[in-house]
Amino acid sequence: MDCRNIRNFSIIAHIDHGKSTLADRLLEFTGTVSERELKEQMLDDMQLERDRGITIKARSVSVEYKHGNTTYQLNLIDTPGHVDFQYEVSRALTCCEGALLLVDAFQGVEAQTVANGYNAFDHDLAIIPVINKIDLDYARVDEVVEEIEQQFGLGDAEVQKVSAKEGIGIEGLLEAVIEHVPPPTGDPAAELRAMVFDSHYDEFRGAITYIRVMEGTIGKGDKIQFVRAGSVHDVIEIGQFTPQQTPCDALHAGQVGYVICNIKSLDMIHIGDTLCLNKSEVEPLPGYQEPKRMVYCGLYPSDGQDFKELRDALGRLKINDPSFEFEAETSEALGFGFRCGFLGLLHMEIVQQRLEQESDVDLIQTAPNVTYEVTKKDGTEMRIHRPQEVPEPGDILEFRQPIVRVNFITPGEYVGAIMKLCNERRGVQQSQEYISPTRMMLCYDLPLAEVIYDLHDKLKSATRGYGTMDYEIIGYQAADLVRMDILVNGNRVDALSVICHRADSQVRGRAVCKKLKQEIDRHMFEVAVQAAIGAKIIARETVRALRKNVTAKCYGGDISRKKKLWAKQREGKKRMKSIGSVDIPQKAFMAVLDKGQDKK
Amino acid sequence: MTMPVPRSAYIHVPFCRHRCGYCNFTVIAGRDDLHASYLQALQMELETLGAPQEMETVFLGGGTPTQLHPDELRRLFDLIAYWFPMVTEGEYTIEANPEDIDEESVALFQEYGVNRVSLGGQSFDMDKLTLLERSHQPSQLEQCFTLLKSIPSVSMDLIFGVPGETLAQWSADLDSLLIFRPTHISTYGLTIEKGTSFWSRFERGDLLEVDEELQRQFYIEARQRLSAAGYHHYEVSNFARPGFECRHNQAYWFGDPYFAVGPGAASFVNGYREVNHRSTTTYISKVLAGESPVAESELVSGEELHREVLVFALRRLDGINPDWFFQKTGVTIESLAGDQITKFVNQGLLRWHDGRLCLTEEGLLVSDSLWPYLL
Repeated sequence: MDCRNIRNFSIIAHIDHGKSTLADRLLEFTGTVSERELKEQMLDDMQLERDRGITIKARSVSVEYKHGNTTYQLNLIDTPGHVDFQYEVSRALTCCEGALLLVDAFQGVEAQTVANGYNAFDHDLAIIPVINKIDLDYARVDEVVEEIEQQFGLGDAEVQKVSAKEGIGIEGLLEAVIEHVPPPTGDPAAELRAMVFDSHYDEFRGAITYIRVMEGTIGKGDKIQFVRAGSVHDVIEIGQFTPQQTPCDALHAGQVGYVICNIKSLDMIHIGDTLCLNKSEVEPLPGYQEPKRMVYCGLYPSDGQDFKELRDALGRLKINDPSFEFEAETSEALGFGFRCGFLGLLHMEIVQQRLEQESDVDLIQTAPNVTYEVTKKDGTEMRIHRPQEVPEPGDILEFRQPIVRVNFITPGEYVGAIMKLCNERRGVQQSQEYISPTRMMLCYDLPLAEVIYDLHDKLKSATRGYGTMDYEIIGYQAADLVRMDILVNGNRVDALSVICHRADSQVRGRAVCKKLKQEIDRHMFEVAVQAAIGAKIIARETVRALRKNVTAKCYGGDISRKKKLWAKQREGKKRMKSIGSVDIPQKAFMAVLDKGQDKK
Repeated sequence: MTMPVPRSAYIHVPFCRHRCGYCNFTVIAGRDDLHASYLQALQMELETLGAPQEMETVFLGGGTPTQLHPDELRRLFDLIAYWFPMVTEGEYTIEANPEDIDEESVALFQEYGVNRVSLGGQSFDMDKLTLLERSHQPSQLEQCFTLLKSIPSVSMDLIFGVPGETLAQWSADLDSLLIFRPTHISTYGLTIEKGTSFWSRFERGDLLEVDEELQRQFYIEARQRLSAAGYHHYEVSNFARPGFECRHNQAYWFGDPYFAVGPGAASFVNGYREVNHRSTTTYISKVLAGESPVAESELVSGEELHREVLVFALRRLDGINPDWFFQKTGVTIESLAGDQITKFVNQGLLRWHDGRLCLTEEGLLVSDSLWPYLL
């Protein structure tokens, strides 16, 4: 295939703006898949993605399309639509020359539209704005055109108006792709350099690596190496997704496809890595990063017997998702479990959901925390993944937390509410601008911990669902942070410790104690629930001792009934965790997560 | 643990004049028309025993056995006399509604050897009786004690913790009862159970449960007053003058076997705990159709049974003699629940006293919270 007849492009959009539907429609329109084959959202092949209606893992697919007298190969590179996967998005965009910036005709430009749009600009992609869902009664096409113009400087003439659902405007869109997206450059005769932009694991064939050939040619039987991973393999098969795996003899500069070597774990495939021929001295492609886990939490089997099963289940997940990591840890309260690292909060939810779907283990999850940095007075630098690792207050010279730049897009009337939310969370305003006469974009720097704690939920309620947000990590800043411990009758419950801002500690401590008081059954003695920073108690609640609990009648017929009741209570107690002599129900461990109304 | 032949029998008579607001027992109110078919069914159920069984204790409970008309009651007594003949010195109890006690009924009791009457008196306080929806007058209770002079043992039930009740009211109630020196007293804190009209009122907020602290005081008050008056607190809810402890109920708490007939009746024979259908009409139609009236049946054996014996025997305030326990179950208390017991001893909820394991007063007050750990 002549390079001039190839177009590589992505669709980028805010969540729910119809990206997957549009991709499906392109496949259908070009005859790549028949209507009968077309399951809704062809490209989202994970069950979970279908459940959530969002794309998590990128997929790519090659379609042939005849325009005029020429047959073009269009390579659609699907990108994940969430901030947790920003790095994956940026690698996928590196493999494209163009992007369809998809905007919902009613929702208009939203936070992720802006983030993804700017990302595409950064990669010097040709951008084709597409307004979707124009068939809807409440579509406000003209206003959205204006928003796009205001935000990205793209004029009306360039905007494609479609309905992916109804198949309106698809032909014009394909023409625009062919005309406006430049063909890839790169010399098929040069030394091989290919970008790894995704991978997935096939039970029978092992790792399947997605590549874009930047320079040179790769063929079946080549001996190749991954530059960053430093591993060497034989190419067993190469091909393209149409969308089924379709083997071919070679992939040339400019083409997108897959490589199968005999690789047993995705651990060895690094997104952003460079693939070249073995013993090649070629310069690796720029932009590679190790995955950055920003959110950590503990996962414990609620029944200690299930530890092995949980470990196996996590291992299986890791094969498919190298960006997730886990290591064994022990908690006095929860026993044996794992500390798990995720790219972000959504990533954490996805992994948990998959765990639940793919294994039977009943889980206890501890409160998620971000990765902190500490400089100790002796000069030691530490990265803190869990509260227990925080050194004694006296040993800390500087305690730093990750800061994110958050873009909010909201109808004008909610600007005040968003500012209030950000100010309460120690946000620093960066900018504020109108993107259309009625909608505004606000930009704040905020601690990531605040964002994962409750910002998204609070934003949705403060803006009645109209506000959207997106964020990127901009670095670490020092703050007055403390580790808050929870004590039950004087015993520290390690799994309940959290790191928070000193100014918030009392409010949060009180909220946690209150919640715990509700969750802990009354015992035969008084139970003190306290929050503490170091040795200083900052909040306390008391679970009163039981004073009277004695069944009166217990004769012949009552024996079975009472026994069943007490046996049920006994089973309940077995599932609780015992700290000292206090039985703490598993629900209580989620109490620290409770945002409740107690905060502010 | 070998299972001896039952030496106790329970007969359930489900009829009541009306259902009291707090009652969730197997009773049926205002259906005197069912008496005949009930007696017919009871006879058929008894016939499944094959042959008469000699008993040390028989307990006729309800409902209200005395709701049966005299000739019906006589037929019931005849059935029992045939199928459950008593040993000499046996204990033969009937539960009675104070309104049903008269010379005729007492004569009937005597004729058939009933030597223990359990009166559903509940209170001497008119306000309490009204709230509890009991239809007798305090003065009727006084008459009952006079009429029952010839019965060797008379027990009365007293309820405490009725909404709005004060400690002074409760003390007065206890004093009123002590005037008659009954041989036995059962006293219960009012519990508001699902399926009662009190429950719906409670859910609506029309009925307030007595504060836990006050309930505790009521219970302690009963313990103190009755002990001072020479009563032995021998089980969570039961007090007796020495020698008048209810032998029938002790069989339940010692894990001994017992027969039971009638709707909702629970038996324990050959290791099986069985409960008959609770609905009187279902019970009758099943038995008359030649079917088994049993609704639930479970085999209780091994450790489960040993733990059950441990828990129910510990509800007796004299506690457990470890030798007795070993003889009964073939295992030691130590091997069964040693760690847990040590923990409770350290927490002051159980104690070793004269070589027996007993509840302490504090343990007694919260004993229901102990059992889940021991079962």
